[in-house]
Amino acid sequence: MNNHFALMVIFSIPVSLVFTFIAKNGAKERIRYFFFLLGSFILLSILAGWLMYPFPL
Amino acid sequence: METGEITQEVTPVPSQAGLLKTAAACVAGVLVPGLGHALLNKWDRAVVFFGSISAMFFLGLRLHARLFSPDFSDFFAILKFAADAGSGLLYWISWLWGLGQGDPAAYAYDFGNVFVYVAGLLNMLVVVDAFDIAMGRKQ
Repeated sequence: MNNHFALMVIFSIPVSLVFTFIAKNGAKERIRYFFFLLGSFILLSILAGWLMYPFPL
Repeated sequence: METGEITQEVTPVPSQAGLLKTAAACVAGVLVPGLGHALLNKWDRAVVFFGSISAMFFLGLRLHARLFSPDFSDFFAILKFAADAGSGLLYWISWLWGLGQGDPAAYAYDFGNVFVYVAGLLNMLVVVDAFDIAMGRKQ
């Protein structure tokens, strides 16, 4: 697979799942936390990508 | 005299497993991701941990990751080996079968390595979680 973004999303899913099940109990709480983590992974990665865009100067 | 109803919130106290069961859960968790939780009857966690960590490990291999051999010659080699070996038997069986030769020229080589490293590191966290459950520190 030659797509960095897709690989990053695929990476984020199991990592978010494991962190969710370590940190939270209860289905509703887990679902909310999972999507919060997944969204954070994706948005922060895109943000970090844009911040690195001008480098190397 | 009328007596009022006393409402009291009862927080369940997590039970503590015995020393043997705690040790067994930790060793099982180190060998197979999620097995420690299965021994503690935390089946939902066991299934999720096994599925997620195994999927990451094998996806990493599919992405041409390299499994780093036991090599204690330099610090970073030790770290790479420790991260890889964190997956337990997944690592050792794959390594003994000669999987994970790695192809640095492949597009996703670095991604593959990260998948395998993180699978091992997550399993270490999962073992700590099993230990906490066995000690009654969390549910």
